[in-house]
Amino acid sequence: MNKQVYISIVIVAIVLGLMMAFQFRTTSAIDRGVPLEEEAAELETKIEGIKKGRTDALGVMESELSRIRLYAGFIMVEGPGVEVILENPLETGRFNPYVIRDEDLLKVVNDLRGAGAEAISINGQRILATSEVRFAGNHINVNLTKLSPPYKIVAIGNPGTLKSSLEIKGGLVEYLGANGIAVGVKQEDKLQVPAYTGPLRFEYAKHTEK
Amino acid sequence: MWLGLWLGILGLAVGVAIGLNLPLVLPHAYAKYLSVAALAALDSVFGGIRAAMEDHFDNDVFISGFFSNALLAAGLAFIGERLGIDLYLAAVVAFGVRLFQNLAIIRRHLLKKKSDIKGK
Repeated sequence: MNKQVYISIVIVAIVLGLMMAFQFRTTSAIDRGVPLEEEAAELETKIEGIKKGRTDALGVMESELSRIRLYAGFIMVEGPGVEVILENPLETGRFNPYVIRDEDLLKVVNDLRGAGAEAISINGQRILATSEVRFAGNHINVNLTKLSPPYKIVAIGNPGTLKSSLEIKGGLVEYLGANGIAVGVKQEDKLQVPAYTGPLRFEYAKHTEK
Repeated sequence: MWLGLWLGILGLAVGVAIGLNLPLVLPHAYAKYLSVAALAALDSVFGGIRAAMEDHFDNDVFISGFFSNALLAAGLAFIGERLGIDLYLAAVVAFGVRLFQNLAIIRRHLLKKKSDIKGK
């Protein structure tokens, strides 16, 4: 046999051995269930990812919810601000026609809001977007709760801005003071505005998709 | 003759060693084609041994048969897969039958040689 034959025999033998070894490895890999294990691991990581995504989404939703509760007035808040105390004129024997009216409180609340107050309460009643301030008989009702003087309005915001918005020349303090009402505006570093605790019912307003 | 045998065994060992140590793993979808190709190659090798024993071994026929049989068998299996026919079964049957025939003939030749040696 010549050289060429030996070369071809070697080549053929190598190729055959390679093929058989490869085939052996592939089939034994199938028998060992490696692909299934890999798939299981892959699915496991996917599940992990989804779980992580879910907790992330939950966390985002929770923080969003607490933010919205903060804005809506369902949590007690704390911060710097002003405390306004309105007292009816003392009975001094002479006839005084002026008592604090709902309008006065509304004006104060309005001014405070205009000055950037973030949370306001009157005698512990948190002022919400749906809160009313109105006369009902001899009392002023806020959140359907009867209030009686002295009225203590707590507003959280920039104390300086809030105070000056009330005490500006020709402002509310001057106006109310001229009517005999004792107005005290105090700046505080730490005030608390309680949460709204009453019920909240929306009977007519419904969700829209937008 | 004996040098050829040893070279063949050596080549087989080298091929197996390379195949087992290569970091590449054949995708499991191609395992079927490779198996048919390996069967065809095996058939060619036994055919070659038989031809060598019958003293009409032709190197060109052997080499071309080895590669073309392997490729054809794999190609047939592939086409069968595309067409939805298990054509690889045809290859398995054809090459299997030939493999056994070749083995039988090789066996007979070996027995004859043995009896020849005895007879001498």
